[in-house]
Amino acid sequence: MNDVWKAFNGNQVLKGITLHIARGETYVVLGGSGSGKTVLMKHVIGLFKPDRGSVFVDGVEISALEGKALTEARGVFGMVFQWAALFDSMTVYENVAFPLRERGHSPPAEEVREKCLAKLKVVDLGEEVLERYPAELSGGMRKRVALARALVSDPKIVLYDEPTTGLDPITTDYVDGMILAAKQKLGITSMVISHDVASAFKVADRLAVLYDGHLVAEGTPAEVKSSRDPYVQRYLSTWFQKQ
Amino acid sequence: MHRLKAALEDFGGMIFFALETLAWVFRPPFRPGLILSQMAFIGVGSIFIVGVTGTFTGMVFALQVNYAMKQFAAEGYVGGTTALALARELAPVLTALMVTGRSGSAIATELGTMRVTEQIDAMDSMAVSPIQYLVAPRVIASVVMFPVLTMLFDGLGYAGAYLMGIYVSGIPAGPFIEHTRTIMLPEDLLHGLGKAVLFGLLVSVVTTWRGFSASGGSRGVGEGTTRAVVTSSIGILVVDYAMTLISVGT
Repeated sequence: MNDVWKAFNGNQVLKGITLHIARGETYVVLGGSGSGKTVLMKHVIGLFKPDRGSVFVDGVEISALEGKALTEARGVFGMVFQWAALFDSMTVYENVAFPLRERGHSPPAEEVREKCLAKLKVVDLGEEVLERYPAELSGGMRKRVALARALVSDPKIVLYDEPTTGLDPITTDYVDGMILAAKQKLGITSMVISHDVASAFKVADRLAVLYDGHLVAEGTPAEVKSSRDPYVQRYLSTWFQKQ
Repeated sequence: MHRLKAALEDFGGMIFFALETLAWVFRPPFRPGLILSQMAFIGVGSIFIVGVTGTFTGMVFALQVNYAMKQFAAEGYVGGTTALALARELAPVLTALMVTGRSGSAIATELGTMRVTEQIDAMDSMAVSPIQYLVAPRVIASVVMFPVLTMLFDGLGYAGAYLMGIYVSGIPAGPFIEHTRTIMLPEDLLHGLGKAVLFGLLVSVVTTWRGFSASGGSRGVGEGTTRAVVTSSIGILVVDYAMTLISVGT
């Protein structure tokens, strides 16, 4: 991501963001509510276009693509949304199977079912949830189904938008474990947007802090922890002082 | 000035949205199941409301025309006049307005809710075009089903007019039917069906666009739905006027 600027209705949200995520690493962007973290992430997958600057994924300038080319370029991604964003008119099975069935040529039905069950098993869900609708699931279960849906097409890159928001500590710990497992077992590159300091330091290879449209700190967890930036110190102290 | 600029930007956005939809309609994968399901919702689901509106419109129109024609002792023309009015104007316009209220508002609300809950973004992130998956089937279904519903309106409207004309107003069946044959031509029916096709395109594009451009939570969805119904209804009347002017002149 090179020098990305983005404004909405005159409100400058991103002010020249430049960052690089290496293949196979887990990169976390920390920041307060309304700091533009989700806007930043949506640029990576081409849901937003920068007013200025460019975004490259695997050497392809995704910020310059439109229409069918952009849709096809998104094939390398899986994304877990803040509130899961499950299709509420579909069952759990239909949600998880969606990327396999609807992205071009669908594999045979039996293969789709096997893959869906395998990914649901990874997130500790069994056949008993297949025919349930999202409204019948708890918040934690919805997040897990969303994770299974993001992983079902074996993406190279997974984007997590506030994966632990609204979850209890045990489920939060579980989701953190899932992010680590996705990286270690499947070699997935991950970008995590979060305001949860504990989770961020647990899963990150590198992390950055977003404030007022700028990345005010970036590096390994240890480097960010020792940052001299006053906002970073204040932000991290909210959690580290509890320890 | 600022509002005018925003309105023009919005209109431009809708035109690009319509063109993008048109491009996706012809690209695989084709999803006949989704199109059929939308045809069932927009078409079959509207049969009752369109049928009732058509029947009562035909009945009332026949009574009014009979009231006027009686003054010239020309009651025999009630059937033909009613059929002509139904075919060219009443059926396509009232069908489109009724379906906008019933199905158009539902389309705008459903897609608007999907937008503000990030379900449309989720579809995009899965490399599935939401325009192809959500919009194209609704546009195709509307373009097909609006004329079908208009024909239903025509048929039931004429049946209602026949009932009133023959059994209530006492017009002889012979002249009622004969004058219908001489006054109303096949091109009058085609004129009405052509309007219905355009109305189907207009309503489906406007309502899906309003859903897609919704923002700001449930209030935004509500505002989007209101704008979808108002814009579609005014659009139907304006397009109807333009087509009539082109067809019959001044």
